[in-house]
Amino acid sequence: MEFSHDRSGDTLVVNASGRVDGSNASDFLESLQGMFDPGDQRIILDLGGLEYISSAGLRVLLMAAQNLDKQNKSFSICSLTEAVGDVFRISGFDQIINVFPSVEDAKQG
Amino acid sequence: MTDTYKILVVDDEPDLEPLILQRMRRQIRSNEYEFVFARDGLDALEKLNADSTIDMVLSDINMPKMDGLTLLQQLPDVDPNLRAVIVSAYGDMDNIRTAMNRGAFDFVTKPIDFDDLKITISRTLEHLAEWREALSSRDQLVALQNELSIASQLQQSILPNIPPVTEGCEVSANMEPARNVGGDFYDYFKLDNHVGLVVADVSDKGIPASMFMMSSRTALKGAAIGVREPKMVLTEVNNQLQQDNPTFMFVTLIYALFDPDTGLLTYSIAGHDPPLLVSASGTVTELPLTKGIAVGIAADVVYTQESVTLNPGDTVVLYTDGVTEAMNADNQQFGMGRLAEVFEGNPPESATAANEAVFEYVRNFAGDAPQSDDITCLSLRRP
Repeated sequence: MEFSHDRSGDTLVVNASGRVDGSNASDFLESLQGMFDPGDQRIILDLGGLEYISSAGLRVLLMAAQNLDKQNKSFSICSLTEAVGDVFRISGFDQIINVFPSVEDAKQG
Repeated sequence: MTDTYKILVVDDEPDLEPLILQRMRRQIRSNEYEFVFARDGLDALEKLNADSTIDMVLSDINMPKMDGLTLLQQLPDVDPNLRAVIVSAYGDMDNIRTAMNRGAFDFVTKPIDFDDLKITISRTLEHLAEWREALSSRDQLVALQNELSIASQLQQSILPNIPPVTEGCEVSANMEPARNVGGDFYDYFKLDNHVGLVVADVSDKGIPASMFMMSSRTALKGAAIGVREPKMVLTEVNNQLQQDNPTFMFVTLIYALFDPDTGLLTYSIAGHDPPLLVSASGTVTELPLTKGIAVGIAADVVYTQESVTLNPGDTVVLYTDGVTEAMNADNQQFGMGRLAEVFEGNPPESATAANEAVFEYVRNFAGDAPQSDDITCLSLRRP
């Protein structure tokens, strides 16, 4: 797993790449939440570099999404590769978490 | 409050006893150390056998009856966790080397420098404390591993292994967990003249996943009784599991109901990979997905269902992503394509043969690469 992030105004864009599975899912969540600032109102997770996500990875995304939702903050993911997109589509997570084709679309959405 | 360490001093020289008691009086008064004394090796063994609370031995080498080097050899039989420090003549390297080879932890030389002795004793006891802590962590680990293997047995024991005997219906299923305790499960049961079939994958693995798996299985079996619409069964299971789910666990699954008289298979999918249909002639197709998401994450999810009629010789294969996402040493995934290839032009002769073929292909593909996910497969064949 590798992360980078970019903040402009109240929008935080996090780039995550690599693989998320049962072995690193909790580290993934910790690293992700460690990047949030109290002032961030909109968090966009760019998964363009993500090769693989297991159900354990989906679970921590769900935890992050629900946490942000409780604080009335927006959370979306974008730029899914075909393989990762299939995982979201088949599991139905694309109906639970906002998914956009690109960072730009996510910012508009 | 710290525990008092008990030290056995072994020396045939009677003057040593008052000397130690005098020089160590502070440590004795503060209950740091307690000293007991023996006059030779045999005497020492007797005292050790009579008192299991002795932590360390400080022994001279040259003594009547039994010398210090012989005593060292006997110590592991009394208690392998005893630590010994040898007192030897200055420059007596041969004896010191022999003592160290026989398991002495350290040595001091005569005439005894009490500052040096204090440091040596405290180092030895520190080492002993760490050693005991390591032993106790190891014991806890062993206990935990025992519990894990019990959980694993429990889990395997709830998976059915005798398929329902029903004319017009063959079922075969297997689950191979990646770790001790997996998150996958399958189930099959007779419902009047129908057969209910389940393949499921709980997010994550290990004990928490297995607990969620048990409640999912119970909820599903309960919801299935007397209900002919798989989509209604999934709706009910989802409502039950998502109500109180603080851990955000979820389960993807397929529930299918088969009518052996007509060959009609009706199924509903909750965020799971679609089933594979292998016709009697060996053509392979993916059955359509239905609407609905993984069970346990959201309220009021609408599930739909699909139906397909199996002709004699047709097989339907339900599986978890442990099959399609099995990796080989080159980090390639087994994938849907290879799963289809197992049966392309090669229709299975029985449900058992179908299931065995899937596991064999996956095993050959993965080779020595470690299994990262549970692998579950259930085959239904209309004979």
